[in-house]
Amino acid sequence: MANEAVLQVEGIHTFYGTIEVLKGISLEVRHQEIVTLIGSNGAGKTTTLRSINGLNHPRHGSIRFAGKNITHEPPHDIVRMGISQSPEGRKLFPRMSVLENLEMGAFQRRDRSELKNDLDRVYSLFPRLSERKRQRAGTLSGGEQQMVAIGRALMAHPMLLLLDEPSMGLAPIFVERVFETIVEINQQGTTILLVEQNAMMALEVASRGYVLETGTVALADDAKALLRNEQVRKTYLGETD
Amino acid sequence: MKEADLVTEAHVRPVKARRDLGARASQAIGFLLVLVVLAWLGVNLVRAPDNFGRVLLIGVSQGALYALVALGYTLVYGILELINFAHGDVFMLGGMITATLVAQVFALGENPALGSLIAALLVSLAAAIVGCAVLNAAIERIAYKPLRSAPRLAPLITAIGVSFILENVAIIWKGTRPVSVPVSDFSAGNGRKIFSIGQVVYTSDRLFVILITVPVLIGLIWLVKFTRQGKAMRATAQDKDAAAMMGIDVDRTISVTFLVAGALAGAGGVIFAFYSTEISFGTGFTLGLFAFTAAVLGGIGNLPGAVLGALLIGLIQNFNEGLSWYAPGSKWTESLVFAILILILVFRPQGLLGERTPEGA
Repeated sequence: MANEAVLQVEGIHTFYGTIEVLKGISLEVRHQEIVTLIGSNGAGKTTTLRSINGLNHPRHGSIRFAGKNITHEPPHDIVRMGISQSPEGRKLFPRMSVLENLEMGAFQRRDRSELKNDLDRVYSLFPRLSERKRQRAGTLSGGEQQMVAIGRALMAHPMLLLLDEPSMGLAPIFVERVFETIVEINQQGTTILLVEQNAMMALEVASRGYVLETGTVALADDAKALLRNEQVRKTYLGETD
Repeated sequence: MKEADLVTEAHVRPVKARRDLGARASQAIGFLLVLVVLAWLGVNLVRAPDNFGRVLLIGVSQGALYALVALGYTLVYGILELINFAHGDVFMLGGMITATLVAQVFALGENPALGSLIAALLVSLAAAIVGCAVLNAAIERIAYKPLRSAPRLAPLITAIGVSFILENVAIIWKGTRPVSVPVSDFSAGNGRKIFSIGQVVYTSDRLFVILITVPVLIGLIWLVKFTRQGKAMRATAQDKDAAAMMGIDVDRTISVTFLVAGALAGAGGVIFAFYSTEISFGTGFTLGLFAFTAAVLGGIGNLPGAVLGALLIGLIQNFNEGLSWYAPGSKWTESLVFAILILILVFRPQGLLGERTPEGA
């Protein structure tokens, strides 16, 4: 079970209009892993997630999740199958309260009785949200909004959680907190695919990593090995020699 | 760094002061205008209280009718940021369906018995609500959905095109001359007395408008606020990508929104047909513009705002046409309503209850 691939992406080519953003990306995420995608702006990290979650279907290649081919499934069915996402830029519903936002995360679920448990889980991960549950999401600080975005994705009770730039725009103290929470969520049994610009932090919490460059996988290795890799250190960890 | 801050602040201050002054001036002018209008209303109330009460009741009925149509504009705008110019014509076709049923299927004459009148009303409501809902959703599927990712101007111009198509459908179906609906207890000015306060009589024509609009509005609030479908509509309106990531079927939600907007327009068409007893292919255009103004006045995209704006437009129109002391009269109604539209767009583009949004501010 531990080594079984939950998600298998094979040679996907995804386009925005006529521009080919992904030029044959392959990757896999195994049960209960944290896998990270790193790379510079425009490398195709977010597009990879949008291919997986059904918002931007690849033109070639295939995506398999839990044994099923989901390459051309619509996004709402993919959520039901067990993939949920905290998107880049958080994308909360600004005119809904924190609680309503969290409830939206559980939109597809039929097991209403289990919802309470998941809500408690989110509140224990982010006690701050329980204090602010009546507040409008649009009025929260950036760090708090990120908590709502992650909490909202968890409310779907996903098998695979996609996190897109969860540390973007946050104060350093919040960044630490977010990565601690990612580890905690993973330890509770959720498989995670993490897209990050903060490559150092991402590789520290991940078990494996993929380095994307202009729509292709440039490197794929254990996270520890990538941390030691000379080229990665120079390009993404900001080391000068 | 410090110095740079000081320099920019020094530059900013006079600009900000000027803007404050401008805002204060327009606020003062707005305040003055409202004061003048209130004084004018006050004088009219004192000089002819009975007439004032009568006009007020007509204004509320007419406003309720506008609200049904205005809500359709605002629902669709909220979810697609599209001004659906064809909406008024969907309303008009609802009226045409009603006229056909009343005159040809029920074959009602002038002043029909209450029983057959109510039967005709209920059947018309069912037919127009279902017909307009399906028509509106079909318009979205055929004309707007293929343009979902096109520049915003494309669906807007398409909407104007659909509006012309619907008007021509009405011309082919009914001709260019107004279609009349038999005068009944539900017709403006022909209602039976229900009760009276002093000289002000509340009549059945007003009551029937309220008896239809209020339950429809309550139903709409319930749908949007408390149902799963309503949640999906609100989420889709706020962020379509995020809604899809929550597992909401965005296309289906948009279809449902058009169904609901069409149903409201259908109910409005029924009321209009019975109330005004005459409907023509161009009715939807004029009334649609009034309702659109109401939606903008209240804050487009905002549901309570649409109702508030519609009631205000209904009252403004009827005060203007019905009050005896220095009222500009019906010739001026359209000018007044569109002047309000322009003033709102210039001074408060987010409307009375709307919030500042990037595109609205």
